[in-house]
Amino acid sequence: MSVVEPRLVLTEEEALQLLSFLITAARLLLDEPADYGPLRLLLAAQYLCADTAPRSSDLVRGFMHELEKEIPDRTAERYRNPAAFAAFLDDGCVRVAHALLAYYGRE
Amino acid sequence: MTGESVLECIRRRRVTRFFAREKVSRHALIEILRAARWAPSAGNRRLHRFVVVTDPPLLKVMRAVAPGIRGYPPAVIVICIDWERAVHLGYQLLDRTLHIDVGTAAQNMLLAAEAIGLGAGPVTSFSKAAIGVALRLPESLTPEMIVCLGHRASRQAFPGTRPAVSTRLEDLVIWREPPDSEAHR
Repeated sequence: MSVVEPRLVLTEEEALQLLSFLITAARLLLDEPADYGPLRLLLAAQYLCADTAPRSSDLVRGFMHELEKEIPDRTAERYRNPAAFAAFLDDGCVRVAHALLAYYGRE
Repeated sequence: MTGESVLECIRRRRVTRFFAREKVSRHALIEILRAARWAPSAGNRRLHRFVVVTDPPLLKVMRAVAPGIRGYPPAVIVICIDWERAVHLGYQLLDRTLHIDVGTAAQNMLLAAEAIGLGAGPVTSFSKAAIGVALRLPESLTPEMIVCLGHRASRQAFPGTRPAVSTRLEDLVIWREPPDSEAHR
């Protein structure tokens, strides 16, 4: 159980748009260079953050906003500095874990 | 337009990914389509068709099935190959000239857009099947490239692409010249 009341944060249109992006990106990745994979997933994450942050709880909103702002810049440096890009993703995983722990009252 | 201004247009053009909300006039779209029509085409066969989309809901549908479209272009032109005519004229399905001609048409369109002050960005990352359904294309027409068009937004970063590297001409070109050519003197 989360420490905040369950809430709806995506409209039907936003969910449909994101679903379409994910399905079509999955198909395209069969033919595209493998390193497009992280790009597509991060772009989907960015869209998800942008759509959900305004309707999210105080607990989650800041985390969503931060990610939405950081993803474009961090993604842009993935060829210039692959190690920094990998570190950003590692850090993102850790931040997701912290956000989840806080969400479920276990932080 | 002088020769110098043509070269300046070529040098100045950049891919536009993010667009302002302002609509693109029909006059501008026709100017860009005319430029596509003047592009070189294998055997001068003209086997491409151009689908112009300015309907906002339809643009939303297209964007949802085209991960390569980043911003919200107010207009797009889809370059299609007319396979019915191509096959009738003896082209094989794997004939590369038809795809090369998509590129020549696209480049003319991008330069025309630049010349009239619009931004343009080519997109090939899209589901052909989904775009075909969205645009109600007959089976004989395959969408090959989407050219996004509009007035440029101030923000143009396109995260994820390779960094802009100023490639030197000598890195790109192999010369095979006679020994007494300028380069050998």
